[in-house]
Amino acid sequence: MTAVALLVRKDLLVLRRSPVLLGALVLYPLLFAVLVGLLVRFAADRPRVAFVDLDGLPEEVTIASATFDVERVIEQVNDKAELVPMEEEEAERALETGEVVAAIVVPRGFASTLRGMVESPTLVLRTGKGGLAGRAELSTQALVYRLNLLLQEAFISANLAYVELLVEGGESEFLGNEFDVVGLETAARTLDELEAETDDPAALERIRELSTFVDEALLALRQADETLRATANPIELETDHEAGRTWLLSAQLQSYALALTLAFVAVLLAAGAIASERDENVVARLARGLVGLLELVVSKVCVAAVVALAVGLALALVFGVAAEVAGVQGGEPWERLPLLALGLALAGAAFGAFGVLLGVLAREARTAVLVAFLVALPVVLIGLVPEGSVEAAGHVSQVFPFGHAQRLFEAALFDLDPWGALAREAAWLLGIAAAFAALARMGVRRLLV
Amino acid sequence: MSPALLSARGVARRYGAHVALAPTSVDVRGGETLALVGPNGAGKSTLLSILAGALAPDEGAVTVATPAPRVGWVPQRPAQYAKLTPRENLELFARLEGVTEPDARARRLLELLELPDDDRVSSELSGGNQQRLNLAVALLAQPDVLLLDEATASLDPRQRRRFWDVARAVRGRGGAVVFVTQNLEELERFADRVVVLLDGRVVFEGTLPEYEADPRADVFA
Repeated sequence: MTAVALLVRKDLLVLRRSPVLLGALVLYPLLFAVLVGLLVRFAADRPRVAFVDLDGLPEEVTIASATFDVERVIEQVNDKAELVPMEEEEAERALETGEVVAAIVVPRGFASTLRGMVESPTLVLRTGKGGLAGRAELSTQALVYRLNLLLQEAFISANLAYVELLVEGGESEFLGNEFDVVGLETAARTLDELEAETDDPAALERIRELSTFVDEALLALRQADETLRATANPIELETDHEAGRTWLLSAQLQSYALALTLAFVAVLLAAGAIASERDENVVARLARGLVGLLELVVSKVCVAAVVALAVGLALALVFGVAAEVAGVQGGEPWERLPLLALGLALAGAAFGAFGVLLGVLAREARTAVLVAFLVALPVVLIGLVPEGSVEAAGHVSQVFPFGHAQRLFEAALFDLDPWGALAREAAWLLGIAAAFAALARMGVRRLLV
Repeated sequence: MSPALLSARGVARRYGAHVALAPTSVDVRGGETLALVGPNGAGKSTLLSILAGALAPDEGAVTVATPAPRVGWVPQRPAQYAKLTPRENLELFARLEGVTEPDARARRLLELLELPDDDRVSSELSGGNQQRLNLAVALLAQPDVLLLDEATASLDPRQRRRFWDVARAVRGRGGAVVFVTQNLEELERFADRVVVLLDGRVVFEGTLPEYEADPRADVFA
């Protein structure tokens, strides 16, 4: 057995004798993953947006004979953004300080323009320059879309009321003028009666022409409901919440949970393991030709990779069983586990190499673990910044394993054609592992002092 | 005079601006027991670590005889894995040393040094037992040169006698023992030759009688 294998076996034995440490190393990041997942899932989807009402919207607004409870309408669209009512100056300040990511301004005259139904009133969206501005814009677009849907429904209902009046007849009012409408159905009945009462061929012909018109008009107007709705919504979106996995079993959460767990387990473990060689005064004994310093670094990287593989596969197994038990469509792609195993080992090695470097710099095991924890946290968080939202974060994230590991796991488990992403991210992880291991090797002599 | 098994030539070590060991030359010859003495911080452990190959000198080099002697090193603080039992420690280091029958060698040393062979990990052992395990690890490769860094400090008299029996056996095979000590009794009882270090420099090198005759002997220790 090689020196590296002997040291790996020793470290695994030591780890087995520290079940509390192992449990904490696995459970803590898993819990953290779920919490971060919740944060990512819900916080980013519902940004805080200031709502500035310069028009002084009344409690109720009547448009096209439909009355809207303004507060209720806002509540209905509140799942897309958390609307916080503010004065104009307060909103500006909140936008500057980042308390809100955007401000929706209702300009003066908004309600009267809306009621007039002649031109479209305008809502104004003010956003900051930060990475969340785009997200706020999307949320606000969704909000305006929902508002438009509600109004559209009101307009359609109003128009349909007029159509109903034309069909059935009755009393109505428009722009303050009251009037009676005979209605097409009454007209049809009247024409039938007239047809029965007259023998004049010319009158009969005219009555029948009118009857045909009334019948066709009735036929057309009875379709008006569906036609109007179809014109207003040429494409309807049908949402089937049962078709995909629940959020808890989603591909995204699984890949994040795996990457996050490994980030903590492998980094902390490798940092603590290399530094404890010095704490136990063994590193000098090993360096006497028993184990090369590069072998020492490699052994800790291997330990991290082995533990990452074991922990990662256990997690994947739990997710898989949960997906099976829940009867999730698509199920767990069990046949992809070998690919995932490869990714777990690679990611574990990359995180491990980073941890070894931290351990070498910190030198003492306790300091190393603390430093590793403090460093792992921002490394993970920077990897959680949505791609493209903050360019600088994306660049920094590239040199750490987290983002690559997450994308590799997602590709390995769920991509229909994973090979491109797998090759790219595996190459990144290998490169990162080699770079951090080389840096750790350069500094490992620090442990001899 | 026996040929040198180890020769340090102009070896020096600095930690930043602090000179731990100025350029120093020392020979370690077969069949002799060499004592390194001097006050705390004199550079004794640094020199021993360099001779052991555990610390690279900033200057100079350590040359070895041909064929290369096996070197066993007992550092001042036990150097073994706290979460492994004595047997596991010995077997692991035996394999790393390339010992042909690591399990048998570990068992022999456990018996020789009366070390516990149960489930207790080494961190649960007494200070004396930890130090004996430290010696046992150094003896795994049947060393020709045994380097002892204040190795008997935490041992009771009986353990100390046993410890020195083992060390003298190495010398008896034509090997060498180099020991760092502040214990005058050990020095007078076991040393053939003495090297005195002061502030990282060798200030005396000679036989035990020469050392004892030197008027500065009381100051050195």
